Amino acid sequence: MKVKLIFSFLGTLLVLSIVVPLFRMIIATTPGELVRAAVEPEVIGSIILTLRASLWATIVAFGLGVPLAFVLARSRFFGKKIVEGLIDIPVIIPHTAAGIALLMVWGRESLFTRWTGLSIIGTEASVSLGMFFVSVPFLINSAKEAFKLIDVRYEKTAITLGATTWKAFTTVSLPMARKAIISGGIMMWARGISEFGAVVILAYHPMTAPVLIFERFQNYGLKHAVPVTVLLIIISLVIFIVLRFREDRL
Amino acid sequence: MIKIENLCKEYQDFKIDHINLEVDKGEYFVVLGPSGSGKTLLLEMIAGLIKPDSGSIRGVYHSRIGLIYQDYMLFPHMNVFRNIGYGLRIIKTGKDEINNIVRSTAQELDISHLLHRRIDRLSGGERQRVAIARTMVLEPEIYLFDEPTAALDLSTRIKIQRLFMRLHKELRPTVIHVTHDFEEALVLGDRVALLFDGKMVQIDTPEKVFNNPVTKTAADFLGYKNVLSGKIKDYRMNIHGVEIMTMVPRSDLAYIAIRANGIILSKEKILSSARNSFPGEVLRVIQRENHIEVVFDIGILLHVDITSQSRQELAVKPGRRLWATFKTAALKVFEH
Repeated sequence: MKVKLIFSFLGTLLVLSIVVPLFRMIIATTPGELVRAAVEPEVIGSIILTLRASLWATIVAFGLGVPLAFVLARSRFFGKKIVEGLIDIPVIIPHTAAGIALLMVWGRESLFTRWTGLSIIGTEASVSLGMFFVSVPFLINSAKEAFKLIDVRYEKTAITLGATTWKAFTTVSLPMARKAIISGGIMMWARGISEFGAVVILAYHPMTAPVLIFERFQNYGLKHAVPVTVLLIIISLVIFIVLRFREDRL
Repeated sequence: MIKIENLCKEYQDFKIDHINLEVDKGEYFVVLGPSGSGKTLLLEMIAGLIKPDSGSIRGVYHSRIGLIYQDYMLFPHMNVFRNIGYGLRIIKTGKDEINNIVRSTAQELDISHLLHRRIDRLSGGERQRVAIARTMVLEPEIYLFDEPTAALDLSTRIKIQRLFMRLHKELRPTVIHVTHDFEEALVLGDRVALLFDGKMVQIDTPEKVFNNPVTKTAADFLGYKNVLSGKIKDYRMNIHGVEIMTMVPRSDLAYIAIRANGIILSKEKILSSARNSFPGEVLRVIQRENHIEVVFDIGILLHVDITSQSRQELAVKPGRRLWATFKTAALKVFEH
């Protein structure tokens, strides 16, 4: 009983540490300021860009990350631990460092641009690239753990019932891991939306919501940054609460 | 006919060590062995899921094979109907045909009422029937059963064993059934193979395997409760001063095995053709499911199975002094 009370108290402290700053910010904004921010094309444009760019990153990650997660869950190979470690690197390095690293590969002076003549820096693609880089571990790790939990004999059974390895993957493993993969996808999308460090280095313009918030704060002060911040938080909250509720049905 | 020659494989913690085996078409063949003996690995190699390190398996590659695992491996994201129809959908059978086949198979296995149920709402016995139906719809020529009744309670296990017998009689497929339950092997098998540590130590009819285990491990596994070791000289094995008559003239080190139901307990010494008769004392009396097990001390400990009636008539209780008698021919001797 005592332990439960202590744990509840500690849990409350933690929840308050998240809620209080958010609440403080929300009550610092008047409804009028919020409405003005909501109709401002630059604000709405940046929020839509943020949601869309992170969505692109997540879609690409589904295509590349889920097969990789399956290989990591099912196969033993030399260097597997190293590959797993490399995947986690974006989570542990400063995101501005991630941005610099990406700039070296995709920037105007990079081999890629020199060979192709194409530069993605300062485009929506580079925003997605930054978001992809820092948030893809969420999807891969979630999918990998889900595949690990699926008994390999389900796939073997499918094969003895006539399925090819590909069919066994698409009709058995993938649907069985679906919930965790979708959950990982939602987490990745969320992480992408909140990304600032890598994105600001790859593309100050077009401006994502986090960059816009930073710019308003830098140039006009706290009062001008708060309404945009609150708006982004409200929109993100609504989307993720709806997604979480619908997760089981997806 | 399935012909396995010199099959070897090391895979994770399991191994298969130079297995040679022939299973006739239409035969019900049981592989009996303890957990970790390599039974599942053997089945997965026969099914073509795992490649052997060396050796060959002939007579399976162009056959339709159905493999049923111990935990059934029913796909949890599909209902019973979709599980049963899975293989048919894979081979692109028409919708109406799938419907007809699934329904008739379900009827045959008495699971028609479950077709739209979720897998997690099924009992163990129902799951097993669904797994059989899912395999049956593809009309396999070879069935591979991996401990298919291990997770079932006794009455369901008996029902499923009867179902296997009926299906085998009606369809006559070749069956390789692995189990650790020697009663199941006795009930179902045309022939039985004993598999220990990846090696096949004995292949014969169930009766011969049970009555004549060829190794100590086999005797242990087949339920011989009395397995003793010692030196044999002049047909006698001396264990801590107790001399047991055997049919082997001499051996530097041998094991003898006696079934617990092959020993007679009596109030007095019995004058009979049995060469082994020893006075002793009852140490423990254990109530088993169908019989009484008596731990009897003749200088060494013997386990003796008796009926409740005998227990009453002989007043068997701890401390009671009785005689234990067994024939020399009842002893199985395994030399090192």
